[in-house]
Amino acid sequence: MKSDLAGRVASNPFLVLGITPAFSRREMEREGQKLLGMLELGMAEARSYPTVFGPRPRTPEMVREAMAELRDPGRRLAHELLFLEGTAGVDADRGEKTVGWSGAFSALGLSRWPSR
Amino acid sequence: MASRDIFMGIDLGTTNSTAAVFDGERVDFVRDQQGATVLPSVVRIDSRGTVTAGSRARRYLESDPENTRTEFKRLMGTREEMLFPASRQKKTPPELAAEVLKVIRRAAGVQIGFEPEQAVISVPALFELPQSAATSEAGRLAGFSKVELIQEPVASALAAGWTADEDEGFWLVYDLGGGTFDASLLETRDGLLRVVAHDGDNFLGGRDIDQALSGWLAERLAEEHGVRVSRSDPSDAAIFRRLKLAAEEAKIELSHASEAVLSLEGISSPKGEIDVDLVLNRATLDALALPVIEKSIEVCERLVLANGVEKGKLHRVVLVGGPTAMPVLRQRIRERLQIPVAEGLDPMTLVAHGAALFALTSRLPARPVAVSEEKRRSFWLQYPGMSSDPAPHVLGRLTAAPGDGTEPSAAEPFAIRLSRSDGGWKGGLLELDAEGAFVTSVELLPRKTSVFFLEAFAKDGSVVPVEPRSLTIVHGLTISDPPLSRTVGVALADDSTREFIRRGTPLPARKTLTLRTVETVAKGSEGSLLKIPIIQGEFPSAHLCRLVGTLEIAGREVTATLPPGSAVEVTLELDRGGRLSARAFVPALNRVFSEVAHLAVPEIAPDSLAAAIASARERLAGIRRDAFANRDRNLLERAGEVEAHLAEAARDLAAARGGEPDSTQRAQRNLLDAEAVLAELEEERSWPELWDEAQQEFAFSAEWVARLGTEIEERHLSEAGRALEKAHQGKNATELSRQLRLVKRLGTAAFYRHPDAWFWMFDAASSSVSRASEPAKAAKLVKEGEEARKRGDSAAVRGVVERLWALLPPDPEFRRLGYDSGIR
Ligand SMILES: Nc1ncnc2c1ncn2[C@@H]1O[C@H](COP(=O)(O)OP(=O)(O)O)[C@@H](O)[C@H]1O
Ligand SMILES: [Mg+2]
Repeated sequence: MKSDLAGRVASNPFLVLGITPAFSRREMEREGQKLLGMLELGMAEARSYPTVFGPRPRTPEMVREAMAELRDPGRRLAHELLFLEGTAGVDADRGEKTVGWSGAFSALGLSRWPSR
Repeated sequence: MASRDIFMGIDLGTTNSTAAVFDGERVDFVRDQQGATVLPSVVRIDSRGTVTAGSRARRYLESDPENTRTEFKRLMGTREEMLFPASRQKKTPPELAAEVLKVIRRAAGVQIGFEPEQAVISVPALFELPQSAATSEAGRLAGFSKVELIQEPVASALAAGWTADEDEGFWLVYDLGGGTFDASLLETRDGLLRVVAHDGDNFLGGRDIDQALSGWLAERLAEEHGVRVSRSDPSDAAIFRRLKLAAEEAKIELSHASEAVLSLEGISSPKGEIDVDLVLNRATLDALALPVIEKSIEVCERLVLANGVEKGKLHRVVLVGGPTAMPVLRQRIRERLQIPVAEGLDPMTLVAHGAALFALTSRLPARPVAVSEEKRRSFWLQYPGMSSDPAPHVLGRLTAAPGDGTEPSAAEPFAIRLSRSDGGWKGGLLELDAEGAFVTSVELLPRKTSVFFLEAFAKDGSVVPVEPRSLTIVHGLTISDPPLSRTVGVALADDSTREFIRRGTPLPARKTLTLRTVETVAKGSEGSLLKIPIIQGEFPSAHLCRLVGTLEIAGREVTATLPPGSAVEVTLELDRGGRLSARAFVPALNRVFSEVAHLAVPEIAPDSLAAAIASARERLAGIRRDAFANRDRNLLERAGEVEAHLAEAARDLAAARGGEPDSTQRAQRNLLDAEAVLAELEEERSWPELWDEAQQEFAFSAEWVARLGTEIEERHLSEAGRALEKAHQGKNATELSRQLRLVKRLGTAAFYRHPDAWFWMFDAASSSVSRASEPAKAAKLVKEGEEARKRGDSAAVRGVVERLWALLPPDPEFRRLGYDSGIR
């Protein structure tokens, strides 16, 4: 169950792009373009990114999606909060309590409400 | 001096096509032999089989309509073929479009000195997947080795942004063509162009004005000359074509004049053949055109509103397409939208212009970079063709050594250097990393085209010849990845949908989801076929979305029988131009199926359309009765909306029976629109029940979340509760069901934490076991479950329950609606 929380934190667009909320939109675009180019050329350095849960694979789709997320000012704000929360407060001891509803649900392996 | 690449963009229009070539500095429009930049999208095949396209073909539209075809863009993506009786030839829409492209390609060849091999072709933003695929196919048939697609509004904005001084804010692109209307909301900020959203109508255009006007002309003929003509009579098709052509000419004339005379010669009337002169003034035309204009503006308002942009925040509107030359149109837009209209742009060539700029941005030169015969080492480069960033990144990596690899190449590149061709900037010497790659940035000439030379050096400092020798970057707007216009997903057997790629997702995109089969696919069986319908649209019911293709897994191709509930990993992938590819991987067979049975807009027989219209009418009558009984004005009004769609569908159907080729599609579209509103109304009618159900669901979830939920779940639930209340007050059924889904999820999650939850579910599932598709297997599962329960093994019981669910068949009625989907 812990891995689900990890998944959400680790797929934060800032992490995917390897930047922080301090980056301006223009800088974000530059970084994104660079990563896309590196991935296209198959450069090993770009194929994964570090997270507090260890390195995660990075794909061009993920980079494009992350860029699109951060272009939207409203969404960016939400990701900024999650980014700060995620990197500042991952506390393994809090365990189950912090898994959250989406984690619990998919951990049960259910994608839909069972038909009655 | 590095020779400049040339980039080509083509606006392949319903009515007219235009093309532009761009050398990084100047845009030129492609001219036909008559010197015109606007090429009619018309193809004629005479009795000897000679094909002509463009203005030479257009002349025959009236005198030889049987063998002269236009508006085939509307049929792109359908399986309809067009017949040319004189030569007994049949052509598909992409084949006809290819004829127009060939004329353009040849004319461009004369102008630029070589036949272009690669180009960007624009498509309407609301084009669905099969239509985009057909457009690419047309390009291939015309001899292009590669084409990329761009959405027309993006092209327009790009061209408008390029010529004007960059300003920041929201833009509206209003493109009213011959047969399609696109409204797009764009934002430019920090030199980046972003499509926020778009909307439109695939069946609205100048053609509808011609239609209204020809109807008016028919009335005049009847009233003043006793000539009766009817649209649904096939023998009147010829006279209607003439009326439409005359109407169009007069309409165009009236964009500049205040009065036009229409002359129709040799009309057969009760008094024999007569010549008719009719005078049309601008006020009459304006009145006839107004419904089309108002309808288009409503789409714009809806778009702007839906995206939370206040009217005052709109910077300007870019007008594109022939009908935007009409003064009344410009006036209405100014009045109703209160936005300045961008002036000084040519509405007829703007799209082609933008497409050519895009060809540069996506680095698709008209002539592909020649692969040299010499044994040179080559770099694979990554950089933007156009960028707002004054110092964009340039990346490169050595490709594998050429030749057989036996002899070590004389000198291996060790470092590179980039320098600008005007001598104004020179990069440092850059060592390649262990992978033979480099990452650097270059300095652009502001608002100009920069050419950079690439030099490579061996370890000893000697020059190593490499490809490519130069690269070109233009300082300008950056376009972000184009967003998907409609959600793409898969229809499930219960008529629900599984979303794969959501509307607005930047392209290219790919998504894989695991689904399960509903019933057995018997090995080697001819009769057994698993269908995975691919749909496009945002409606929660599959049948309201458009079917764009079907992946099929046939029994005869299956090497082992697949039991119900087998996993199928479905992957949908869209490229930048919105071209779809789909495949299904079946782990049990270790096989990939990628046959998309038909990537086409399905045709519907007129009879079944008529039946569908009739049944929609019946449903509507029920709603009307209720509305009257409850004096619900709002409901009545919305019912009127459905009625209008149905009436239009019926009219289109009549026209289809009269031989108008695209009317069937139009009728179908109107029917879909009607059904979508109907579904909403029916939902509203059952509002009290719906609300009742919502409250019960909420109570269920609240109880379980209170008992077994986490803090976060509780917070989410109380938020959802507030949202439910709000949806209730606003009578917003869509929002209500959305919130309800969340509530259910929260409740379910908590519920399943109860140690006995799966035992309860097991009781429920085993009580309906009589309906199972494989009774013997189901009975065995029930037994297995009972034993597991005795042991208190919750995990095993859960496994049994899930397998039991897979055996319970979906409702056949829903299944039919869900395009016979065989998965869930
Ligand atoms: N000056 C004009 N005034 C009004 N309508 C015009 C004018 N010129 C062209 N049209 C109309 O514009 C439509 C074609 O527009 P166009 O942008 O070429 O369409 P498409 O994009 O569908 O090829 C036709 O309906 C034609 O009658
Ligand atoms: Mg057009």
